[in-house]
Amino acid sequence: MIAFIIRRALLAIPTLIFISFISFVIIQLPPGDYITAYAAELRHQGEYITEAQEAAMRAQYGLNDPMVIQYWRWISNIIFHGDFGYSLQWNAPVSSLIWDRLAITLAISTLSLVFTWIIAIPVGVYSATRQYSVLDYVFTVFGFLGKGVPDFLLALILMWVSFVYLNLNVGGLFSPQFQSAPWSVAKVIDLLQHIWIPLVVLATGGAAGLIRVMRANMLDELGKPYVETAYAQGLSEGRVVWGYPVRVALNPFISTVGWALPALFSGDIITAVVLNLPTTGPLLLQALKMQDMYLAGSFILVLSVFTVIGTLISDVLLAWFDPRIRYA
Amino acid sequence: MNAKKWIASVAIAALSSTAMTAAAWAFQEAPMLTEMVEAGELPPVDERLPTSPTVVEAVEVGQYGGTWHRAYSGPGDRWGPTKLMEERVLKWTADADGNAVLQPGYIESYSVNEDSTEFTFTLLEGLKWSDGMPVTTEDVEFWYKDVFLNTEIVPNIDPTFAPGGKPLELEIKDERTFTIKFAQPYVYFLQILAKDSTGEPSLDRPSFLFPKHYLSQYNNNYASEEELAAAAAKYNVENWKGLWGSKGVLTAWWNNPELPVLTAWKIETPAPADVVTMVRNPYYYAVDQEGNQLPYIDRIEHRLYQDPETLNLMVAQGQIDMQGRGMNLDNYTFYKENEERGNYEVVPGRDSNVWSIVPNLTVKDEVLQELFQSADFRQAMSLSVDREAIIELTQSGLANAVAVAPVNGSPYHKDDLSSHWVDYDPDTADSLLDGLGLTERDGAGFRLRPDGQRLSVTIETSDQANAKTLELLSGMFADVGIELLPRVIDRTQWDNNRDNNDFQLQWMPFDRLTYVPADPRLMMGSQSYGTEYFKWYQTNGESGVEPPEGSAIREMYADWDKASQAVSLEEADAAVNEMIATFVDQGYVIGVYGEGVLVNIVSDRMNNFVPNLVQDDIFRGVGIARTQQFWLDQE
Repeated sequence: MIAFIIRRALLAIPTLIFISFISFVIIQLPPGDYITAYAAELRHQGEYITEAQEAAMRAQYGLNDPMVIQYWRWISNIIFHGDFGYSLQWNAPVSSLIWDRLAITLAISTLSLVFTWIIAIPVGVYSATRQYSVLDYVFTVFGFLGKGVPDFLLALILMWVSFVYLNLNVGGLFSPQFQSAPWSVAKVIDLLQHIWIPLVVLATGGAAGLIRVMRANMLDELGKPYVETAYAQGLSEGRVVWGYPVRVALNPFISTVGWALPALFSGDIITAVVLNLPTTGPLLLQALKMQDMYLAGSFILVLSVFTVIGTLISDVLLAWFDPRIRYA
Repeated sequence: MNAKKWIASVAIAALSSTAMTAAAWAFQEAPMLTEMVEAGELPPVDERLPTSPTVVEAVEVGQYGGTWHRAYSGPGDRWGPTKLMEERVLKWTADADGNAVLQPGYIESYSVNEDSTEFTFTLLEGLKWSDGMPVTTEDVEFWYKDVFLNTEIVPNIDPTFAPGGKPLELEIKDERTFTIKFAQPYVYFLQILAKDSTGEPSLDRPSFLFPKHYLSQYNNNYASEEELAAAAAKYNVENWKGLWGSKGVLTAWWNNPELPVLTAWKIETPAPADVVTMVRNPYYYAVDQEGNQLPYIDRIEHRLYQDPETLNLMVAQGQIDMQGRGMNLDNYTFYKENEERGNYEVVPGRDSNVWSIVPNLTVKDEVLQELFQSADFRQAMSLSVDREAIIELTQSGLANAVAVAPVNGSPYHKDDLSSHWVDYDPDTADSLLDGLGLTERDGAGFRLRPDGQRLSVTIETSDQANAKTLELLSGMFADVGIELLPRVIDRTQWDNNRDNNDFQLQWMPFDRLTYVPADPRLMMGSQSYGTEYFKWYQTNGESGVEPPEGSAIREMYADWDKASQAVSLEEADAAVNEMIATFVDQGYVIGVYGEGVLVNIVSDRMNNFVPNLVQDDIFRGVGIARTQQFWLDQE
């Protein structure tokens, strides 16, 4: 088992190097560079910088160097000094930008993941055990709707409804008067008034899919002989269902833990942009649009580290769960 | 008022008129500062202000205090906050009629010699940086020798400050007086200062000044290499040049709360905070007509938003006290509908852009090139546009049908120029096109080019929002037999296509139409209809494309040469007017609509914002409205 984990961990290293290089290159593939994007942004707002100024900035940021050198400058600092470099756009160290927002992102994502599971598992189990019942049809309709409506649209609708009909302050996580205020009971209440929209939006999208998966897995299991046997032994329905088929049906969830981790980190980008959440997603999007390659590259690198770790965890869990994989 | 008091006040009035000093004024300050004075953190207001401070005539004398709430969209939006508080030796401000005039800022006086080669400025007596240190010509000398001429910090001096290739020269007269000298006459220097100040490398750019007492420790002429390296490490930049530069962590006011400034407010919480705040500068040099030290407002808060829709929500929820930046005319109805609910009012400003069709006179397709270069063809394109319909359908009727010419409010504006070729007259357009020999048509009713192909032109925009306008234009062009193909392309690509001479038509907002000589490049074809011609002109024929013999564009270049070497403003303006007349008469760029409404959201608490001002880059946006005299109702 330990050898298996070590083997997996070693394989992760070349994967990460490869991902970091590819992402660094892809960020810079579109025509122009950060300075072009910066000049265009200024022009859009009615400001101008001269070509001499552009050239001076390029020289200052080392954008004229070959890409391999730029890559090495960035990655060597990360490896040897733990320094993620400098965001060109914010003119601030990348680390000061990412980690501040990460806490909020993790909080929102974890909460919404918990919500997703709280909704999805019982509903999925119910739908499978009471297949083709009225409630099953209702859940199915809502499931497809939830899956079909894009998250950001749902976010916009909820924002509009709470703005027009509920007279709530929407957008962001706090009302302006609380934004820079110290923590207090009133601030927590204000936070709760804001946070339900992102939670509902993120949870419905996720839950809708999970309900379908859970239902399908359960239906596969419920017809199997061991379930029949359990019933024949006189066990109650609750004990049979929750004790055996549910555990087996959860199996595919374990293998997708790997995806949950990076999703926790990046959040749902478009939803976050629409809701003006101070999470990491909008920052990543902006960095990509501006070709701020150190910020965007560091983001993608952290994301891929999370993915690799997540995959490793699923592998380990699965191997621990299923001996066939361990010895394959 | 009893007799004694009356006599006393007459006596004071007499004293003040003879002494001409501000000592007769009793200066007042914000309660926030009085507290600090009482706590011993600040000297009293009379010691902080210059002996005779600049008087900014407030629309209405206001109340002190409050926080001005607005929004910003990230680091790229730093000019939003910057334009609220830029300082120049001379600044564009609106006079009583809303026309832009130059007003002295932190100087007591200025003078220009007869042939416009020498400009002398005298700083206010007792002028102080925001940390209380005096501002003297030593700071001017530091700016000149250690920044402006320092190739480590400013590798290339912008031609604006080196006409004829020779950088401006500085002569210090005394502690407060200095003279700027040029090798050749430079009549528009003051206007250029008002727009660009003295250029790189600072964001805030007060003209001619850098705080020597603070910045010399980070300058390579004063500090050793080790000290510079230590400073770079301290501020987390790659090398000490990262401290300077246009985004320098030290010299950009927007990054560095410690930087001494002259502006009405200074940064308190810098980006990347979710709420960036600015706080009043206790040493600000200006007072209102009653001797109240400005600004009235204590703080400005800029809240980060990521999506334009979020900004609209902030507006509707009454979270914006005054802001024009980021507001879009498309949402005009939404803003109006929510006025009552958000306790604000939509106050119009005047847009100086003219949205226009820009033909590429040097387009690679030779048949099109010949057509675009023909005035008749450009006139036909212009006459086939039903501007009223476009304005009604896309601008809520809030724009004017105008040609690309100096806008209302510009000293170069003329009504007949603005109405050149703007009437909708498809019949004349048809006959003009017939006259060019484009008489053959294909089955779909489109004209055929001399080489037998369909007369089809592509128009590019970088913004999806313009697609509707282009569709309308497409229909109007089809009526006269021209096929117009709209394309929405990436912004970078859109810019590159101009640089690479790789477009036929572009749809763009044509600006810099207010004080034309402050930046005439766009009108002379640069980044527009004649990018290649302008390259040829700028490089003295080394690169670019030579304009054809007898082309009117050569006259424009000659006129500008004349203007830039003129010794008097009258002479220069005459040449500039010639150049503008040629440009408009030729119709090189086809204006469709412009001089529209700029949306300013002004909350019911905010006072002294003047409506209908031209807010453009040359006049420094909202800066022309003099933000330091804005005030908020206090409870």
